[in-house]
Amino acid sequence: MIKIDLNTKKTLIDLYNKKGIGLEGNITKLIDGEDDEEFKEYLKTCQTKDEEKRKKRLEMTKKIQKQNDELTNANNENERILGELQETLREVEESRLTFEVQNRELNEWKQDNLRLTEELKNEMVKAEQAKIDAETAKQSAENDLDLLQKRTQNQLISTIVRVALWIIVGVGFITTGVYVFTMLMGKDTQVISAAWSNMFGILLTNAFSIIGTIMGIKYASKEE
Amino acid sequence: MIDSILLVDDEDLFHLVFEDACSLLDISLSLQSVTSADEAEKMFKKWFEENNTEDKPECVFVDLNIVGSSFDGIELIRKINFQYGNHVVIGIISSSNESEEQAKAVHAGAQFWIIKSDEIEPRLEEFRNDYDGYKNRTAPFKIYR
Repeated sequence: MIKIDLNTKKTLIDLYNKKGIGLEGNITKLIDGEDDEEFKEYLKTCQTKDEEKRKKRLEMTKKIQKQNDELTNANNENERILGELQETLREVEESRLTFEVQNRELNEWKQDNLRLTEELKNEMVKAEQAKIDAETAKQSAENDLDLLQKRTQNQLISTIVRVALWIIVGVGFITTGVYVFTMLMGKDTQVISAAWSNMFGILLTNAFSIIGTIMGIKYASKEE
Repeated sequence: MIDSILLVDDEDLFHLVFEDACSLLDISLSLQSVTSADEAEKMFKKWFEENNTEDKPECVFVDLNIVGSSFDGIELIRKINFQYGNHVVIGIISSSNESEEQAKAVHAGAQFWIIKSDEIEPRLEEFRNDYDGYKNRTAPFKIYR
């Protein structure tokens, strides 16, 4: 314990009484008041005031400490939220880029589709044209074939007519020749004359029949 | 009353809280505070090398995680106990209450673990009552919750 002389004690007490300035801190607990009741009272007052100040400071410090902790926690929370926001922002940016890529691909596909559609239309027009050409060609071929058939028919008819006429004329000449020969030789012509006239009549009939038939066929062909 | 205390804690505000609480509870009149484990280690190293026992504190309170230090509070306790001569009452004062860390602290030679909170005074008062046991090494490791 610290002992203080009487003069110093008086000075300290006077200073406190006049200006309110007293000893502070743990030093007050180390000073021995001895038997001086007035100085003991002074020390007790200083210790009480110091305790009050310390209590007040402790309370304030704790309050500040608590606020600091709250601020630190709030700051940590803000940093966490900021981190989450940045992460979200990054994801949104990634999604945007993905969408842009997909959109670009879709546009490319759309362009391709339009191009293919255009090409398809052109091909359809060409196919239609080709179909028309083919039908025209078919029609032309059919016409040609029909014409050819008709020509062939006509030629055949012509040949038949010619051959038939030749046969008729030939048979007429032969029969007539035989009849003339018989008359010139002075032979009996009764049979040959009847045969000649019959033959002649038949040939004429047949000839007209053939001609009629041919004319009928020609007429019928024209109608078709 | 404890003759002298050394507080190792990176938080300046807690220095004030601890000082005022110690003064109000008459735990100690002499309190020194440092903000890093490295600084505390230097002091103990010097006292050990100079064989200085007068300036050495009687009791040391160490924070578990001391920001700005190259090692934590448990390592500081180990160094003080096993490298720099021991002879101090030493323990942790931290807001942490992890049993794994507490086991490490016991292994390093910590004698107590005080959990920091808004109301530190009741724990310090309880610690003050148990102090003699720590000083004469009869009290077991205790956690002040």
